[in-house]
Amino acid sequence: MNFVDLLMLGFSEALTPTNLGFCLLGALLGTLIGVLPGIGPTATIAVLLPITFYLPPLAGLIMLAGIYYGAQYGGSTTAILVNLPGEASSVVTAVDGYKMAQQGRAGSALAVAALGSFFAGTVATFGIAIAGPTLSSFALSFGPAEYVSLMLFGLLAATILARGPVLKAIGMILLGLLLGMVGIDASSGEERLTFGAVELFDGIDFVVIAIGLFGFAEIIENLENVEARGILVSKLSRLWPTREDFRRAWPAVLRGTGVGTLLGVLPGGGATLASFCAYSVEKKVSKRPQEFGDGAVEGVAGPEAANNAGAQSSFIPLLTLGIPSNNMMAMMLSAFIIHGITPGPTVLATQPEIFWGLVASMWIGNLMLVVINLPLIGVWVKLLTVPYRLLYPAILLFCCVGVYSINNRIFDVALAAGFGLLGYAFRKAKCEPGPLLLGFVLGPLLETNIRRALTISHGNPSVFVERPISLVLLIATAGVLLLMILPSFRKTREEAFQEEEA
Amino acid sequence: MNQLIRNTALATVLFLGAGAAHAEWPADRPIEFIVAYAPGGGTDVMNRTLAPYIEKELGAKITILNRPGASGEIAYTAMTQARPDGYTVSSLNTPGYLTMQMDRKVRFDPKKLCLVARVVEDPGSFIVQASSKFNTLKDLVAYAKENPGAVTVGTTGLGTDEHLAMLQLEKAAGIDLTAVTFNGANEARTALLGGHVDTIGINVGEFVGNDHSAFKNLGQFAEERASIAPDLPTAKEQGLEVLMSSERGIAMSCDVPEEIRNRFSSAVEKALENPEFQAKAKQMSLAISYRSAEAWNKELPVRAERLGAIWKLAKEQK
Repeated sequence: MNFVDLLMLGFSEALTPTNLGFCLLGALLGTLIGVLPGIGPTATIAVLLPITFYLPPLAGLIMLAGIYYGAQYGGSTTAILVNLPGEASSVVTAVDGYKMAQQGRAGSALAVAALGSFFAGTVATFGIAIAGPTLSSFALSFGPAEYVSLMLFGLLAATILARGPVLKAIGMILLGLLLGMVGIDASSGEERLTFGAVELFDGIDFVVIAIGLFGFAEIIENLENVEARGILVSKLSRLWPTREDFRRAWPAVLRGTGVGTLLGVLPGGGATLASFCAYSVEKKVSKRPQEFGDGAVEGVAGPEAANNAGAQSSFIPLLTLGIPSNNMMAMMLSAFIIHGITPGPTVLATQPEIFWGLVASMWIGNLMLVVINLPLIGVWVKLLTVPYRLLYPAILLFCCVGVYSINNRIFDVALAAGFGLLGYAFRKAKCEPGPLLLGFVLGPLLETNIRRALTISHGNPSVFVERPISLVLLIATAGVLLLMILPSFRKTREEAFQEEEA
Repeated sequence: MNQLIRNTALATVLFLGAGAAHAEWPADRPIEFIVAYAPGGGTDVMNRTLAPYIEKELGAKITILNRPGASGEIAYTAMTQARPDGYTVSSLNTPGYLTMQMDRKVRFDPKKLCLVARVVEDPGSFIVQASSKFNTLKDLVAYAKENPGAVTVGTTGLGTDEHLAMLQLEKAAGIDLTAVTFNGANEARTALLGGHVDTIGINVGEFVGNDHSAFKNLGQFAEERASIAPDLPTAKEQGLEVLMSSERGIAMSCDVPEEIRNRFSSAVEKALENPEFQAKAKQMSLAISYRSAEAWNKELPVRAERLGAIWKLAKEQK
């Protein structure tokens, strides 16, 4: 069977009434849990897993996949409206998206996010169909040495993420690296920075830090001035993006899709890295870098496209190699195995209807999400007109429930509250929490991979330059670093920020 | 008339309510089943699959609560601190439960933790790429003898079953291997597929249950071949003394009356015999191997001693 036949087979499977129904159900559920901060898709799917026993295999998988990408859509909504990224991939969306909302352009930001995500989802779905197996071999060529170089590049990109002095950004990255070290070190078995607390043995959960630094800190700051919200409501002008917004968002979506599809395939931090990288790319190529961090529509479009493309392409290693690239995919693997299907090259050949049916349903699900979400934008934006004194207790409650439900323990809620105070202090000191989170995510990956690479090479550091992909990444890193140090570049950067402050 | 009906209804409700309060274990209220690992993992999915069959045997309701963290210590602590009325049980996995006690003082009192039933015993094994020059553990040992330290072994951390198996193999064959730590079996499998390590340790269940067309298994570390892999030779058959398996089971506080613990244990036994469950277990490649509370409690110290000896090796190496 050729590619077109297989895709037709997939669509004929995905378009049966049952499968369409479960696709819609999954997408709706996903949107809902995505909008509720902290209640992530992983927990939801874990609870629903046993139920899929009683469904036909494909229907169950379609529903679970729908929850996953539906949550990506929903997560952006809270990031934009109330500055509350539910997961790593929407941290970047919050930076410019929330600024847009504050300027009364929430509708525009939401629409760009939804349309950009749909476009990226479409491209990535066909990417899976056409190049899945090729992309997975690309992912396999990423050994420890390549990861080290990629992470270095990512960390450098984090300094671009921040506004204000580079020194502050670096300081925040270092803090993030430090927080990433908390827990038991797997290769030596030693406890690090746990202060004897068993709850810290596995490190700090990303959601705890994100909800503390963004959610709680935002609420504290908002409560400082009662009037802030009122101004916002009066400025609420239009729901639909302007022609100018579209013109600027379009190329950003294209670039974001490319970055996301490629990085999403990588196991580990791939999909997260994708949205951060897309943001850096946009800021670099933009003629108006000074607008970033202050409501630039590209800053929403690029990362949103990237995280959705990344979410789709993270299915590639699972479907083609049978290896999940993150916790979510591990859950999907369980769902497959419950039905006696073991994803991998064999299933691809013997049960093509499963693979292609799922791929086709992902496209259909993305289409459904746009149809569901576009009319809802009006509703979400109305949410902002709710007086803040009524809104914030609800946000606070959802944050606490979300944090508690990660590990079912109150310790995490207290920890998040601590990070909330820290985040408030950061805001007063004009330090951006974005680079801290990137350092926190990338730090442990960088460390473990350095150790792996050096263990495998028996302590010989030349592996980093001997392997071609690693070398290219290192050269790119050095290039960016050089650009940052060069006086002319530094001048433009400073100028850019002075303009912004003016 | 209406008044009468209402009064009768009220009385019935009161009566039933009073009846429930006096009902005996386990019908009072739901049994809280603490799973010591994150949702979606092997232990979680296994227990969620098994729970409805235990419910059926006991005539009770079971709710699953995940308390992941510190390789089970958080769950064990919560379980031993709960009221010892038989309404709190927890999952228990070895070797994690045993190794955590070797190095430091744990937060729960191991003497207060009683094993109730073993469900699974899954032997460890070493796998390589399908195109590898190694076909058996012997091949690997022969190569490692000529090239000390050259063979890289992917494990999921210090003191995990793969790591302890590797140390045993080193000692049994007099060779030197290089351990490379990964965050979980999936990362290790990816690295093996990409050719970044030579071999990785993996449980037989994980190997059989996933698409393994790209891998070869060199041998399992069990006394006897596991029921799910009857064609895979053991290390012992290849002349190498390596014994390592991970067990998954259920535990309760020792303060819970022995009668309740035994009733739970036999309910698990019957649940495991349910053909419907067995069909599911087969699909999930669970190496079902039941031990009653009594038998498992007897076996565990032997296992602990063996692990202790290997653990010492690990410490000396460091």
